[in-house]
Amino acid sequence: MNDRERDLPLRAQPGHTSLLADVARAADIVAPMWPLTSFVAVNPLGGLQHLPFDEAAAAARRWLGARTHPTLAEYRAAHARGAITDADLRRAILEFDWRLTSPFTVEIGGQTVDAVELVRLDLLVGPDVPPEVAPGVGSLDAGSARPVDSLVAAWCGAYVDEAGVPWAMPGREHGFYRAWRRLAPHDRRLRRLAGRRGTGWLAQLPDRPVEALAIALAALGIDDSNRVDALRSQLGRLPGWASYAHWYDEWAPPDHHGPSFRLVDLLAVQAAATAAAAHARPGAPSPGGEGEPAQELLDERVDAVFSALGGSPDDPVVTSAVSGVLQQVPPAARNSIWLEAHEGNFRDRLLGLLSRLDPGMETDRPDVQAVFCIDVRSEGLRRHLEASGHYETLGFAGFFGVPMRWRPLGSPATQPRCPVLVTPRHEVAERPIPGDDPSRYLAAQRTTRSGHESFHAAKGGLASPFALAEAGGWIMGPLAAARTLAPSLVGRAARWARTRNGSPRPRTRPAIDADHDPAAGMALEERTLFADAIVTTMGLTRFARLIVLCGHGSLNVNNPHASSYDCGACGGAPGGASARTATAILNDPAVRTQLQNRGLTVPDDTWFVAAEHDTTSDAVTMLDRDAVPDSHEALVAQFERDVAVAGERLSSERARRLPGDPRKVRVRGHDWAQVRPEWGLAGNAAFVIGPRSITKELDLACRVFLHSYDADADRDGLALETILTAPLVVAQWISAQYYFSAVDPDVFGAGDKTLHNPVGGIGVVLGEGGDLQVGLPAQAVAVGERRVHDPLRLLAVVQAPLERTEAIIQRNKVLQELVGGKWITLVGRSHGHERWSIRNPAGTWSTWFPADDSVDHAEASLEVR
Amino acid sequence: MIWEGLTPMAKIEVVVDGDQIPAVRDLFLEAGATGYTGVSGVSGFGHHGHHQGRLLFNDRASLSMLITVVPKDKVSSLVAGIRRLLEDRHGVFFVTETHVSRPDYFR
Repeated sequence: MNDRERDLPLRAQPGHTSLLADVARAADIVAPMWPLTSFVAVNPLGGLQHLPFDEAAAAARRWLGARTHPTLAEYRAAHARGAITDADLRRAILEFDWRLTSPFTVEIGGQTVDAVELVRLDLLVGPDVPPEVAPGVGSLDAGSARPVDSLVAAWCGAYVDEAGVPWAMPGREHGFYRAWRRLAPHDRRLRRLAGRRGTGWLAQLPDRPVEALAIALAALGIDDSNRVDALRSQLGRLPGWASYAHWYDEWAPPDHHGPSFRLVDLLAVQAAATAAAAHARPGAPSPGGEGEPAQELLDERVDAVFSALGGSPDDPVVTSAVSGVLQQVPPAARNSIWLEAHEGNFRDRLLGLLSRLDPGMETDRPDVQAVFCIDVRSEGLRRHLEASGHYETLGFAGFFGVPMRWRPLGSPATQPRCPVLVTPRHEVAERPIPGDDPSRYLAAQRTTRSGHESFHAAKGGLASPFALAEAGGWIMGPLAAARTLAPSLVGRAARWARTRNGSPRPRTRPAIDADHDPAAGMALEERTLFADAIVTTMGLTRFARLIVLCGHGSLNVNNPHASSYDCGACGGAPGGASARTATAILNDPAVRTQLQNRGLTVPDDTWFVAAEHDTTSDAVTMLDRDAVPDSHEALVAQFERDVAVAGERLSSERARRLPGDPRKVRVRGHDWAQVRPEWGLAGNAAFVIGPRSITKELDLACRVFLHSYDADADRDGLALETILTAPLVVAQWISAQYYFSAVDPDVFGAGDKTLHNPVGGIGVVLGEGGDLQVGLPAQAVAVGERRVHDPLRLLAVVQAPLERTEAIIQRNKVLQELVGGKWITLVGRSHGHERWSIRNPAGTWSTWFPADDSVDHAEASLEVR
Repeated sequence: MIWEGLTPMAKIEVVVDGDQIPAVRDLFLEAGATGYTGVSGVSGFGHHGHHQGRLLFNDRASLSMLITVVPKDKVSSLVAGIRRLLEDRHGVFFVTETHVSRPDYFR
């Protein structure tokens, strides 16, 4: 045994509570990652939301080696195509540092330029800085740590995977660290890295992961003073698996069926393996984060500015002056200025559109009111529907205010159908209506399900795939070809088969009444509260004869990220069940009576009906159609016809934005080779809270979340507070997910979709293994190198008394962080005849003016440029 | 103060953001606490201004209070962990002497 090996400790100091606290603090660097079966868009830097955006971005660059903004070259290309103008840049420069407005000028190349112009030129022509390199771990340099990371990632995959392996990793019931500890000494790859004695040391580590972590950190020379940084560094080396462990620690439901996967286990395995490897081959710690020397870079920036002006830095006084100006703008701040300029350009266009005179709400009773999810994809359908008849449309979170767990007909399991911010407190089961016998249908479902399970078990087995190919290849091959070449035909055939199998689906209803269904449902008082909240929060002050609640889902096949296209407000699930449940509550005569007692009268001739919008085909299906009374049949039939036309028009519009054959836009979801069934929420950029009258007849290019709100009907501000603290927060998560997936597809995105391999039903890896991929696939935000999602932070637009909005911000920390930290920009106006004002991070409000008064933004296009 | 028939212990109350609950819970368990009580939707006014209580559709944004009772010999370890956790995030905690009638529940 040599000295180094003898030094490896086996006893930990007491004080594991502090270590666990540091684990929780370090976890801020990675966002929780939900399993793919219920994909939830999250802000990848959400754990750092207590910091201003720029500081959080700097932390991500440091610990994850990530890009947090588009590169200067990408911004310059956007400037060249007019997506960002010089006026946008000048305004953003002044917002960055108002002192640059000083009367200072210099003469270079025969031109007199001021400080703002010098910075603008630096933004346009100055050299970029290379991305930061994530630091090493303790005494192990970054290069030597890579094989350890690869090994740990492989262990993680083996541990969580059930479907893709012939047998599960033994000992999983004891947690990741303990299962690994039992097997690690037998792993030849580890022995090669750690040597025999290092492997022997690993085998003697204690049984508790927190104790092992303490010992391994000590072996790496990490003490209390640098422990959080070291843990962050480790998590940053496998951010995907760390994100999943973060989800498990903070969000996994008590009935989660997969194996436990805790951060402390992951860190214990990482640290132990790293310590063993470092002991076998110590290297110099990676400096990490050290870029080009600052002075050298500054000199290059100065040279580039002189060159752009046709001059040379001969005069030391002028050169020093230019250098002094550029020094006020640190290299990384340039990307922040560009981002501000880009956002300002979009803000001017949107507020220009929204600055036309608000005609106010119509007062006559519409034929039909249709309530859609706030999702940006609903904006197009609403616009086209309104153009086809006397329809009033509204926007509301797609779970329609009913946080529930949904139990589909015959299902042993329930699924949450609400935003993840809310804990569902009620279960609602789908029950057959009296007279409809579900037994044959359920038997057929069981047969189909077991067939699917057998197929997938055979596919994932050790030898069975060969037999499966022999036995089923004659049909699987042609079916695969048909799904690719004639996806619409396969879709129609599947629907035909479902209706011809002799077991039609029984008619069902959501069982909402706990008095009739003790296992599920809600008491009358709770149903009444939900009904009241739905009507009040969406600002429904008058009621049409027919009110459609339209959820949305996305039908697409062979897509591990399928749920990312479903409704985010329903926890990454289709919204039909929520719409059905909400309509059942609102049509309930007992609820109507209770509402009347509370002073809220829903006319007797008002009927609510549920629907679901398939966002890949833009087909809208009415749900519980058989429950529609004869008195409303004609209205429903007319709505079906009009919404079908609206769907066709929206599909034509979407076809212009999607690559590929525009004639096939509505069947892309059936094509199992299609990597881009639709654009999802790509392009999302703003969230408008206000009456529809301020956005009606405007083409918002499916880029804006629309939440209905009537300030006059919300005197106490409770509805606005609900909207700002829930739907807006979820929209910010979505916006940030798209933003970061677009700016760094490798770190924050899931990479190339064509290389994805599902692991354990929780995520995907690229190729045969490695880190779990977080975020959205590259194909969800770009076509090749062309980005179709503009990386902009969310713009929130609120029409409500400013003092009401401000008071709500002041009493909610989540809003103080989002607005004060510049994670979002919030603009507001008290009523439709006022100019918009921007809420500054410091808490003041400034009247909005466009960067360039000469541009008529009232006719602006919001299409991604 | 000594009450006859009651055993002195320490009560620790922690007020944190909703998303910190799992971390605090882990600290309680690591320190040897045998249970805790959680109160969600805590409102109030303090160092960071007014805090809204329960929100309609966001259970995570409001403050929560977790309360545990431990023998005094476990206090220092637990306090060390909580102090560490709250070094760079919002939250406060209080340690007070309390008395329990069933000490075996807390050991």
